[in-house]
Amino acid sequence: MENNASNKTRKSLAPKGEVWVWFTSLGLVLGLAMVLFLFGLILLRGFNFFWPVPVVQLELKEDSEAVFRGNTSFAGVIASTQERSLQEIAVEEEILLEEEEEVEADGILGQALQTISEYRVFVGSRDRYGQSFRYFRHNDILERSFPEDIIRAERRVEGDAFFFPQRIQFQDGSEVTREDANFEDELDRVVKEGRARRSQINRIDRREIGPINLEIRELTMDLRFLNRIERTEGDLSEAQEAQRERLTERIAQLNEQFELLRDKADELRETNQSIRVFYEYADGTSGQIAIGDLFRFYYPNRLGFFQRIQVAGIQFWEFVSGYPREANMSGGIFPAIFGTFVMTLIMSIAVTPFGVITAIYLREYAVQGPLVRAVRIAINNLAGVPSIVFGVFGLGFFVYIMGGTIDSLFFSQAQELGTPTFGTGGILWAGLTLALLNLPVVIVATEESISAVPRGVREGSLACGASKWQTIQRLVIPASLPGILTGMILAMARGAGEVAPLMLVGVVALAPNLPVDGTFPFVHLERKFMHLGFHIYDVGFQSPDSEAAIPTVFATTLILIALIVVLNLSAILLRNHIRKKHKGSAF
Amino acid sequence: MSHTNPEPNKAKPLPSRFQVGKSTLYFDNFMNYAIKIGGIGVIAAICGIFIFLTYQIMPLFRGATVEFEQTLDLGNLEISAMGIDPWSQLPLFVSPDGTLNFYDIQDLDKEYNRGFFQMDPGLPDGVEFPFTRYSNHEDSAIFGTADGRFAVVQVEFESTHPDYRSREVVANLTTTPLFRIGLDDGEFEQIDYVDAGRNKLAVAIQRDQEGQRRIFAVTFSQNQPLIGDPVTVRDREFELSDLFEGEARFMRLTGDSDFVIVGTDIGELHLLARERGGFTNRQTIQPFAGRQSETIRSMNFLSGRLSLILTNEVGEMMMYSIFHSEESDERILGRTKEFQPALPTGQGAEFYSHTPRNKAFLVGGGNYAQIRYATTEAIRWGGDLDFTVEHALLGRRYDRIMFVDTENQLQIFTVRDPHPETGWKAYFGKIHYEGRTEPEYMWQSDGDDDFEPKLSMVPLIWGTLKGTVFAMLIAVPIALLAAFYTSQFLKPEIRRLIKPVMEIMESVPTVVLGFLAALWLAPLISARIPSVFLIILSLPIAVIAFGAILANLPIQFRKWVKPGYEFLYFAPFMMLTAYFAWQMGPLFEAIFFRVENPETGEVVGSFAVWWTETTDYPVRLRNAFVVGIFMGFAIIPTIFTIAEDSMTNVPQSFRSGALALGASRWQTAISVILPTAAAGIFSAVMIGFGRAVGETMILLMATGNTPIMTANPFDGMRTLAANIAVELPEAAQGGTLYRSLFLGALLLFAFTFFINTVAEVMRQKLRDRYKAVE
Repeated sequence: MENNASNKTRKSLAPKGEVWVWFTSLGLVLGLAMVLFLFGLILLRGFNFFWPVPVVQLELKEDSEAVFRGNTSFAGVIASTQERSLQEIAVEEEILLEEEEEVEADGILGQALQTISEYRVFVGSRDRYGQSFRYFRHNDILERSFPEDIIRAERRVEGDAFFFPQRIQFQDGSEVTREDANFEDELDRVVKEGRARRSQINRIDRREIGPINLEIRELTMDLRFLNRIERTEGDLSEAQEAQRERLTERIAQLNEQFELLRDKADELRETNQSIRVFYEYADGTSGQIAIGDLFRFYYPNRLGFFQRIQVAGIQFWEFVSGYPREANMSGGIFPAIFGTFVMTLIMSIAVTPFGVITAIYLREYAVQGPLVRAVRIAINNLAGVPSIVFGVFGLGFFVYIMGGTIDSLFFSQAQELGTPTFGTGGILWAGLTLALLNLPVVIVATEESISAVPRGVREGSLACGASKWQTIQRLVIPASLPGILTGMILAMARGAGEVAPLMLVGVVALAPNLPVDGTFPFVHLERKFMHLGFHIYDVGFQSPDSEAAIPTVFATTLILIALIVVLNLSAILLRNHIRKKHKGSAF
Repeated sequence: MSHTNPEPNKAKPLPSRFQVGKSTLYFDNFMNYAIKIGGIGVIAAICGIFIFLTYQIMPLFRGATVEFEQTLDLGNLEISAMGIDPWSQLPLFVSPDGTLNFYDIQDLDKEYNRGFFQMDPGLPDGVEFPFTRYSNHEDSAIFGTADGRFAVVQVEFESTHPDYRSREVVANLTTTPLFRIGLDDGEFEQIDYVDAGRNKLAVAIQRDQEGQRRIFAVTFSQNQPLIGDPVTVRDREFELSDLFEGEARFMRLTGDSDFVIVGTDIGELHLLARERGGFTNRQTIQPFAGRQSETIRSMNFLSGRLSLILTNEVGEMMMYSIFHSEESDERILGRTKEFQPALPTGQGAEFYSHTPRNKAFLVGGGNYAQIRYATTEAIRWGGDLDFTVEHALLGRRYDRIMFVDTENQLQIFTVRDPHPETGWKAYFGKIHYEGRTEPEYMWQSDGDDDFEPKLSMVPLIWGTLKGTVFAMLIAVPIALLAAFYTSQFLKPEIRRLIKPVMEIMESVPTVVLGFLAALWLAPLISARIPSVFLIILSLPIAVIAFGAILANLPIQFRKWVKPGYEFLYFAPFMMLTAYFAWQMGPLFEAIFFRVENPETGEVVGSFAVWWTETTDYPVRLRNAFVVGIFMGFAIIPTIFTIAEDSMTNVPQSFRSGALALGASRWQTAISVILPTAAAGIFSAVMIGFGRAVGETMILLMATGNTPIMTANPFDGMRTLAANIAVELPEAAQGGTLYRSLFLGALLLFAFTFFINTVAEVMRQKLRDRYKAVE
């Protein structure tokens, strides 16, 4: 009895439902864990891409499955270690390989619990191994070492490679071998020189040949058009005949220039091809590479901490400022960053005035009533309409209808020849599509900040004799400027990360030219462009070796996420600042 | 006051220094209009999106337009069959005298028009052909003599562009020799001939002297002489009359020459299969059994020679198709459509013509004609004509109809029907597609000559809902629990930190989530599904156990855990639990998901194999389960933010009152705050739902994009949004696929707009209610 009573009192003393309070905290912990985990993963894996890691040389047992063409030595970077249960391996081998293999373990439960470490090693040299990653089981490894002399080479094709350089062969056939004292300095020098020649080639290709090619293409188009007129109408007028002559002449002239430049570039290329580095892989197999194909190298096992930071910095800079190579799988992402930037800029220019005008109209001019309320709800809801729908609209309306009309008015020649100018996806249409998508965001943010301007301010201004527009211009807009800015930044963040609609209106995996460059008229709104988000999709899903591409994708992701987080954070801080300010000024 | 004016009307003008500058007024006026126009313009533009999408899909739901073009007099030409070229500008008429007559109807007024001209296929002179037939599908004419012989004339149309003027069509004829078939003195009623490469087959129905109908088949083989073209040689002859009861009235051969389909005078349909050098009767059907009339009145093939359109005496129409039966594991004939309503003439079809371009056919009798689309069973067009039809023809490109009336006039009509295969039924109905075993919902847009495009929206809607449901299953509990805890129990200082974190999470591009889902998570958990199960199971249990122990500890221990910081104490414990569950996954798998290898007798624990054996569904790398987890990432912040707002904004007085009356913080939260904010929570879930429905990139990357309809969580799907992203870049502007994808977009638009409106209205109401309380 007494025991019971004391139980009762104790129960009634403790607050009811504490268990459930704990239970609800599960949601928050899970949510936070997901966020932190996501950002941590991207940060870590993205950062890893740039960080030079020591290269390990593994010596395998002869009977290991991982032996490659009888070679038991591999050099590479351990990308990840996985604990795999014997059961998993058994099932995989049974099902995937359809090969029967006895797994010796203590029955089925033992199999489930016993694990083997499996290393996923980035061995590079896709041309040699077929893929960049190889898997090694812990039990198969006899010995591991970190050789001092191994280099990690960034190559023009087939990704990175790990090898020991042996000798350099120059154009004239003379050689410097690794026994020579100046070997490493020479290696350094020739690679640097090769790099200089390559950038010269690039300059010729891009800056000098590019515009000539463009002009030739345009003139050829005109010529084709004239030829077509001749074909359909049977005859050309004298003026047209003369024009054709002029065009042909000019094209020939340009072709001459083009060939001259090309020869110059070819010469440089040949030099780069004729200097070769001979090397040995970890297993002693030898190989060679032309200096033109060897972009950069370093000795990963000799670097101190600060040197590592330096290498990481160089790699980072090359990544954000370089052009992509090998179907976007290596090289830099500069065009994607630039494309994202220009597209976001076009979007902001388009969305801000319209968004602000609409918000001012809704708040200051429209008669507040059920209709305006309905319009407001509709605009609010538009923000929840799937972005792909805007993409469909952009394709149907901007690209085909507006672009088609522009083409038939101004670019009818090209259109008739089946090469539309504005009638196909382009950066302008992508910008406008995203502007439409973000219109609600800007309208809502602006309206919110306009409505936060106290009524007294307006009344005071009007009482002093200011006109309505003067009140809006001098008081309302300045007061709500931070809010407008917040909306704009949020719109930019959303625009930079949106991919689905862009896929329909002009984003491409590899754009030959930037949307803004040195050729007249400098801003090419009709051009297709690259985008960070689409780059992620393309490299991750359309590349031939998606596993090898994953680190690149993580690096791109890191940059995209960094961009968006910075934009969002500034919007949030700005908004908090405004809210605080308004709280203070109780009018 | 001295200067008070007694007449206010005659007020002195204001001193000029008080007057507003004219330019200010003008500018003010201008801005007033500019803003109004701009504002209304933008709102109109937003409505314009909806209108534009609707406008783009309108043609999908329209029927065909048929317009009269011209009448041409054919004089006294004797016509027994008619055909047309692929460009619908050179109709041809088969005469019983063994000639083909062409009429060039392109540019009739130009001097180069060839008008009416005759071509002789080179059949023996002086022979009459009482039986003629023209097949518009194979461009061949069949001529049958009165003495049991027949020849096939193959017409090859060629388009040329002489001197850059409009197209001129030229016909080239190749004629087979006369082949013997059946009786010497029989009267041909039907002849059909199929050239399937090495297999050639001719079948004829003949009426013998007693008036009895008999049916014969002749096979042909191809001989390759040393020099010259291969020669077709008559091989063997079979009489098929005894294979079935009754007399053969109608007969058609399938395109591969494997089957002869016979319709009899007693209303039966027989499928005669060509097997092992002979013919067997595989199947007998009564197509109109139990109907007003059981007699078959007409029997014709649809494009593709796989489906028959049958009519009976009262104009009821049906379609029978050959398809592979899963029961008998052979190809059989089965009813796939019944066309409603029946022909308004109340009689069987008197004329019939189909187009090779799609599954449309022209059918009718007397002075009534209609175009039907077989797949959707829809009447594309139907109407009375001013004349009685003798012969009718549907253009090869489904662009013209030509009739020859009883006055021997050629009546030409144009058909405009850009999207015949569409309609409500095509998008939302269950359809028995040609060659399929049963009616189903299918999306397979890349149709060609052999496969019609299948455009059902249902698998896509299903995929969308499947993805959404899995996402919601993961997101809703986490988001709502987190919102509840954050708004009710968490320290406000921490709350101010957590909200921006969630907002940033909301802005993470979904392409990033899709990439992580497909290339990182999918391979990671594909072999560890039991581990994930174990985590999902063990976390709540562990949490409740942990909470129960802590809550029942004496106060001297409990006081160490500050209210509002519970989650911090919790986090390490939960991480441990999750890690432990992950590691224990294989054990869990070995205990609960055992399978035995039937060959070796070895027992292995494998979820994937177990699942496939138990449910018959496969386990794929990219599946709804993985998608659900990452879609959760995308929508948790949305739901969290809105739900948290609505709970935080419950007026403080509610809480104070409850607490003052002695309720614990849990009791206050669950019985006061939760019911008050329920509408807001509901709207949060709705908005999250809307976002999940329209999500594109995650689904595009992590589902595998196969438009299948299974509820299997370990299989992929294709959603409306992903479908647009996959197919629209390739779709031709204005084509059926293009507009169908617009329909998908409109569905998405309407659906999300509706959901969001409901949610928004509820939120507004809630806000008003809070205002009223304050």
